Amino acid sequence: MVSDMLRAQVDELAARVNGEVEEHLGELELTVHYPDAIETLTSVKNFSEVPCDFLHDLCGMDLEDHLEVVYQLSSLRGPQRLRIIARVERDNPVIDSATSIWRGADFLEREAFDMFGIQFKGHPNLKRIYLWDDFEGYPMRKDYVVESHEQRAIMRVRKEGE
Amino acid sequence: MDVKKERELRDAEVTAEKNILRTNIEKFLNWGRVHSFWPNSFGLACCAIEMASTGGARYDLSRFGYEVFQASPRQADLMIVAGTLTRKMAPVARRIYDQMPEPKWAIAMGNCACSGGPFADSYAVVPGADSIIPIDVYIPGCPPRPESLIFGMLQLKHKIQHPSKVRLNQYGK
Repeated sequence: MVSDMLRAQVDELAARVNGEVEEHLGELELTVHYPDAIETLTSVKNFSEVPCDFLHDLCGMDLEDHLEVVYQLSSLRGPQRLRIIARVERDNPVIDSATSIWRGADFLEREAFDMFGIQFKGHPNLKRIYLWDDFEGYPMRKDYVVESHEQRAIMRVRKEGE
Repeated sequence: MDVKKERELRDAEVTAEKNILRTNIEKFLNWGRVHSFWPNSFGLACCAIEMASTGGARYDLSRFGYEVFQASPRQADLMIVAGTLTRKMAPVARRIYDQMPEPKWAIAMGNCACSGGPFADSYAVVPGADSIIPIDVYIPGCPPRPESLIFGMLQLKHKIQHPSKVRLNQYGK
């Protein structure tokens, strides 16, 4: 169940940042566009009575015509949960980094960058986290072509001193 | 049995009674090696759980003398590639293999290490550890049971003790 206090504050915020609110499986979803993401997250963190100040998870999503960054928020001080979805352009996926709000967003944003190629502006160390540095492409995007291992029978060249 | 062979056997019996055995040095060293593999604990995925289970009390790998799982490749002579070998891990695996002193052997444990398994077509997985490390024994299974690992290690023992038999099986000469 979504508390009325949280709903009222989310509605008020949605009107301010021009976002859409939906309820999905007993959880509020606030969809905004990428320029408003940082403002939204900062306000959500500072909600009175029901602050959503714990970044549970951050991941990327590919919806073919645009990309999304999904922030799963909750709090250590209450049962409230909130999901913020920031829409990002597919051709130029740039969004401000949330590391200034939560330091823990560091690795999560690197993962989203690794898998979807979303550029987080202001991230202290934006490079690949799971795949190796000279990997080409972003494998979790819908248009990534997976070749069979016979076609792709190339090995990484061992670097000197590795 | 001809007379010459019989005389040789009788001589061997006489020396054995004096607590002397005759063999060649390679056979003698191999005899020691096969009864004390020091595996490098190179667990990459879920197969490592079965490998740990093999070393535990129920399956008791130490009854063969193989229980000294070494964390350092410099003190190991057997590499058990247990699990999915990813491309990012591949240079590390090769380096660990290179750091092991001779003589050394390698076992591919599980479908992933044998041929890439279900992840063979993935962008991030090496299709078979044998593309970077020379493998002596392949153990299929997902994951192989501890009995399979023990059987695989005993096959390796057999292979080391009877190099001519392996040559016969592979090349027919």
